[in-house]
Amino acid sequence: MASVTLKQIGKSYGVVTAVEQFDLDIADGEFLVLLGPSGCGKSTTLRMIAGLESITTGDLMIGGTRVNDTDPKNRGVAMVFQNYALYPHKSVFDNMAMALKLQKMPKAEIARRVNDVADMLGLTAYLERKPAALSGGQRQRVAIGRAIVRTPEVFLFDEPLSNLDAQLRVKMRMELQELHERLGVTSIYVTHDQVEAMTLADRIVILDRGRVAQIGTPREVYEQPATRFVASFIGSPAMNFMPAERAGDGWQVTGTDLVLPGFGQLATEADALTLGLRPEHIEVLPADAAVNDPWAFDATVKLAELLGADALLNLSVKGQPLLARVGGTDFPQAGETVRIRVDPARLHAFDPETELTVARAAQH
Amino acid sequence: MQKRPRYGLYAIVSLSVLISFFPIVWLILTSFKNTAGIYAWPPQYWPDPFTLDNYISIFTNSPELLRYILNSFIVGAGCTAITLMLGGLAAYALSRLRLRFAGMLMVGILAVSMFPPVSLLPSLFQNFLNLGLLNTYTGLILAHAGLFLPFSVWMLASYFATLPVEIEEAARMDGMGFVRIFLTIVLPLSWPGFVATGLIVFIFSWNEFPLSLVLMTQNAMRTAPVGISLYPGEYAFPWETISTATVLAIIPVLIITAIFQKQIVGGLTAGAGK
Ligand SMILES: Nc1ncnc2c1ncn2[C@@H]1O[C@H](COP(=O)(O)OP(=O)(O)OP(=O)(O)O)[C@@H](O)[C@H]1O
Ligand SMILES: [Mg+2]
Repeated sequence: MASVTLKQIGKSYGVVTAVEQFDLDIADGEFLVLLGPSGCGKSTTLRMIAGLESITTGDLMIGGTRVNDTDPKNRGVAMVFQNYALYPHKSVFDNMAMALKLQKMPKAEIARRVNDVADMLGLTAYLERKPAALSGGQRQRVAIGRAIVRTPEVFLFDEPLSNLDAQLRVKMRMELQELHERLGVTSIYVTHDQVEAMTLADRIVILDRGRVAQIGTPREVYEQPATRFVASFIGSPAMNFMPAERAGDGWQVTGTDLVLPGFGQLATEADALTLGLRPEHIEVLPADAAVNDPWAFDATVKLAELLGADALLNLSVKGQPLLARVGGTDFPQAGETVRIRVDPARLHAFDPETELTVARAAQH
Repeated sequence: MQKRPRYGLYAIVSLSVLISFFPIVWLILTSFKNTAGIYAWPPQYWPDPFTLDNYISIFTNSPELLRYILNSFIVGAGCTAITLMLGGLAAYALSRLRLRFAGMLMVGILAVSMFPPVSLLPSLFQNFLNLGLLNTYTGLILAHAGLFLPFSVWMLASYFATLPVEIEEAARMDGMGFVRIFLTIVLPLSWPGFVATGLIVFIFSWNEFPLSLVLMTQNAMRTAPVGISLYPGEYAFPWETISTATVLAIIPVLIITAIFQKQIVGGLTAGAGK
C-alpha cells in the first residue's frame, strides 16, 4: 500500500490542455474519487497515474518514489477498465493469472492466489469459462479480480460500473465498498455519477473542463461547494439558481418581485449575485403558516411529480420558478397556493463573473 | 409490423448475380463444347455434344498446365506469407505505437500503391536481371509482395482499429511488452483479419499478369494466367483449351477460399467488453 502524490501534474495534447496543473495528496488507504462531466479530464488523469499516458508537466510520486518515467507494470498499480478489457481468448483463470505468470511466480502460488480471489468474488464456478460466456456483472468481477490478485499498492478504476444496469450497479458499488474496507488499498476511482462518488469516496476531486474545481469530502462538496459548477453538479435534482441584484439591505431576484432579506456578511461589494438554493432545502408549509417570517413567501404549485418516497414541486414564487423537493406522499397539488420557507444558512451565493462562491462571515 | 416480401429487391439481386456469373458459367460450359459448338451460330448455350475431350486433351497435349498451377501456387503462398508478416507488423506499428508520422506514412503507402504495376517493370526487370532474380520464385514472390504490401497494411490496420485498445492496455498493465502483446493478444484476436487479407492477397497474386509475364520468361516458370494466355493457336485462338485450362486454374483458388471462409468468423473479441 502506498500514498500517491501529484505535484503540479498536467497534460496537454499539443495546444489542447486536457488537464490543467494541480496538486493532490492521496493518503495511504484512501478512497479518492475523480468526478466530473464527460471530457473534463478524469480518464486522462487516471491514465497518467497508470502510466498509459505520458505526463506533460509535474511529478507523480507513488509511495514516495517519483514514477513519471516508470513502466506501468513497475508502478505497483492495477487498473479496472470501463469496458472490462478482458482477454477474450483466455479463460477466467488465465485472465486473472496473467500478471502473476509474467512475474514468473511459481504455478502453485499462482493457482492458490487466483483461487483465493475467485472465492472472494464468487467466481470459482466460472474459472474455466471464456469471458464471452459470462454476464456483464461477472465480467466486471473478473476484471476486479484480475486487479486484486496482483496485490497492488494502488487500485485505479475508470468508470467500472457504467456498463452495468442500475440494480447491478448498486450491488457492485456496495461490493466495492466492502472490498475496500477489507483490503484497505489506496484507490482512485473515476466516475461521472455523483451518487457513486458520494457513497464511495473519502474525498472527491471535482474536475471542470480540465481544471480542478474543488477537492473535499462528500459532505464538504455538498454543503460548501467552491464554485457554481460544483454546486450544480453535486445534488439531485440540481440546485436552483437565481440571478439577483442588491436592493437596499436585501436582494431582489432579477426580473421578479421576489425580494430576499439581507443575509450574513457577504464578502462582496458587487451589486449582483447568483443565489443558489437546493430543492431539498425549501420547506413547504400550508398557505397560512409563518405569516410574519421574513424568510417565508407565498408560492403557487405549477406541477407536482411523485418520485416515490418523495415528490418534486415546480413552484412559482412571485414570478421566480423554483424546484422543491418534499417528503411523503401527502403533498400539495398543481394549482394550490402554499407558503415556502427558506433557511438563509442554506442559501448559497456565487459571483456572477467568476462563478466562485462568495464567502460570508459565520452567523449561526 | 408486417413485413412484405420484397420481390423487387429479389429481382434486382437475381439479375445482378446472373450478370456477374454469366462469364464464368459461359467459361465452364465452353470447356465442355467441341470446336464446332464453340463457333456455332446462333450461339450454343448448352454444350451439344457434351464432351470431356478438352479435359483429356489438355492433360495429354499440354501437361505444363499443372506446372503453371504449381508455380502460381508457390508464388501466391510465398507472397501471402511475406505480405501478412510484414504487413501485420507495419500495420500494428502504424495503428498503435503512436508514431509521429503514422498518418503521413499511411497516406504515403496508399499513394505509392496507386502507380500502375506496369510502371515498375523497366526498373524491376533490369535490377532482377542483374541480381539473377529473373525466372526465380524468389524474384516474383518479392515483386508480388511489394505490389500487394500496401493493400495488406491498410486492410490489417483497419482491422486492428476495430480491436478495443483497452485489451492491449490491460496487457501492458499486466506487464507485457509490445512484442509479446502483438504475438499473444493481437495476433490471436485478429486472426479473421489476417485470413481475409491473406485470401485476397493470394487471389491478387494468382491473377496478377504484367509482372508475372515479364519476370518469368521461361515456359517452365510461368504462372497460370500467363501460361494459359500464351497457349499457341495455329489458325485461330484455341478457345476450348483456354477455357478448360482456366477452369482448372480456378479450382485451387476455389478450394482455398472454401477452406478459409469458415475461418473468417467475426466476433472473436466477444466477451472482452460489454
Ligand atoms: N489524444 C488526444 N488528443 C487531443 N485531445 C485529447 C486526446 N485524448 C483526450 N483528449 C481531450 O482531453 C480531454 C479529457 O479527456 P478524458 O478522456 O480524460 O475525459 P473524461 O473526463 O474521461 O471523459 P469521459 O467521462 O467521457 O470518459 C477531452 O476534452 C478530450 O477531447
Ligand atoms: Mg473517461
